[in-house]
Amino acid sequence: MAATTKDEGRRSSIATAMGAGIKIGAWNVVSLAIALAVWQLASVAVASPFFPAPMQIVDAFIQLATRGDTTGHSLWEHAWASIERVLVGFGLGVLFAVPLGLLMGLYPKLYAGTRSVIEPFRFIPPIAWIPLAIIFFSGLTRFAFLIFLGAFFPIFTSTLVGVARVEPIHRKVGIVHGAGKLWILRHVVIPTVMPDIMAGMRVGLGTAWLTIVAAELAGGISTGLGRMMTNYAELIMVSHVIVGMLLIGLIGFLMNEVLLLVERRLFRWRWQVSL
Amino acid sequence: MDAPVAPPKVEVDASHRYGSLTVHEELKFRVNANEFVCICGPSGCGKTTLLDMLAGILVPSSGHVLIDGMSANPKKQSISFVFQEPSTFPWLTVAENVATGLKIKGVPAATIRSKVADIIGIVGLTGFEDYYPHQISGGMKQRVAIARAFATEADLVLMDEPFVSLDQPTREHMQREVLDIWRRMKRTVIFVTHNLEEAVYLADRVLILSAKPARIVAELPITLQHPRDPLSAEFTEIRSKCVRWLHATH
Ligand SMILES: Nc1ncnc2c1ncn2[C@@H]1O[C@H](COP(=O)(O)OP(=O)(O)OP(=O)(O)O)[C@@H](O)[C@H]1O
Ligand SMILES: [Mg+2]
Repeated sequence: MAATTKDEGRRSSIATAMGAGIKIGAWNVVSLAIALAVWQLASVAVASPFFPAPMQIVDAFIQLATRGDTTGHSLWEHAWASIERVLVGFGLGVLFAVPLGLLMGLYPKLYAGTRSVIEPFRFIPPIAWIPLAIIFFSGLTRFAFLIFLGAFFPIFTSTLVGVARVEPIHRKVGIVHGAGKLWILRHVVIPTVMPDIMAGMRVGLGTAWLTIVAAELAGGISTGLGRMMTNYAELIMVSHVIVGMLLIGLIGFLMNEVLLLVERRLFRWRWQVSL
Repeated sequence: MDAPVAPPKVEVDASHRYGSLTVHEELKFRVNANEFVCICGPSGCGKTTLLDMLAGILVPSSGHVLIDGMSANPKKQSISFVFQEPSTFPWLTVAENVATGLKIKGVPAATIRSKVADIIGIVGLTGFEDYYPHQISGGMKQRVAIARAFATEADLVLMDEPFVSLDQPTREHMQREVLDIWRRMKRTVIFVTHNLEEAVYLADRVLILSAKPARIVAELPITLQHPRDPLSAEFTEIRSKCVRWLHATH
């Protein structure tokens, strides 16, 4: 009896959450419309060829999407080139940062003994590595390296800090039942640190996009959204530059949404908090 | 020559220090197999520390803690522990939490399912199997931890003030269940409580610890038949004896 009422309670709270979701969606449509309207009005007021109206952006977008740019590369080629670089570099960042963060979190002496080597690197922005990266690497490797640097530290640091949050009592539960170190790592440490890892990944993704655009602006390649934007900036074709900017914003936003979705599935046990 | 006797279930002869803080000074006692022992003592005297040593989580600074004649080691001996602090895993559901010990011990999934269902019934959480800890009350979480400890059917059961967060009827129900499991399944139980009535109701023997550095100051055997009547003359007499000893530790 008690269980059914509880279940109904849970179901109705899901319904309330869905209602709230629709409401939030509606508010986003409204704010988007207001932003566009303000932009339109501003462009009419300024009336300059360097201040395109929203419709001109749409025109530029259609042109880039269907006919490609001045160098014969399509918008999708540019976008995919950037996405691929981000995914490879970001993936490498996760692959190294998580195990290293766990290891150093679990063995604080290892971290304490090496921090004078590790920590200074955190303060060298990935952009400052671009000149060296241009000398030593080319193609995908160069970008992967730079993005790796950008994504690594946010993920590494939040993993490291997360390990300190493991409750001693949870370790004791494992030990008392005869669990080994590996069991505790898998079933106590990782579930505890996971929210921090995900938070680090979202910050790292932001840094990754920041880095890729800067690296592509630096030149040496023919594709990538950053490259495309520089080309059009040299031609002073503002609408086309803005298309690149908006596309970067959109792709970053979508990737972040994917991470949030994963997070919500993974952390059903605290989904009210993570929303 | 003496005939070889089986070692007691638990034999403690240990001193323990945290840095410069001496918690136990030559703390000595034995517990026989199938015995139900309650431990009482002033707050901070080292009861949780003692249970940690019995569970093999903590090694005493000197002396030994033996279970079946061997150093306490949770990988070799089957021990279960109901902790004083909240100890459920927030990322697991009630049923998954209860199954934790069985999973570590590699019990087949079908057996786990039926045992978990049984024990969840005993602690009165049927219907809440798929709830996460943040969706249930504090007392319910404590019952999850009790169910998890009993699911593995360990032969040494350590309980650290397990019923403090429960209301009186639930507490009485849980006390009867623990007594029932103890009698049916022949476990050895070491039970820490501040509640002397609870101690006299449950135990074969009550050990009273002194303040730090803790020693055993009194040992009171209780031979009353179960179920005990807390209002009977014998019960109240033993209980007031315990109270006097406990006051003497302050
Ligand atoms: N990890 C630790 N490091 C240092 N000191 C500790 C540690 N754990 C416990 N102590 C100290 O040891 C003493 C005994 O603590 P313990 O938790 O065993 O007491 P207790 O008898 O269980 O008390 P209570 O009845 O309040 O639960 C306390 O003075 C406490 O401060
Ligand atoms: Mg305690």
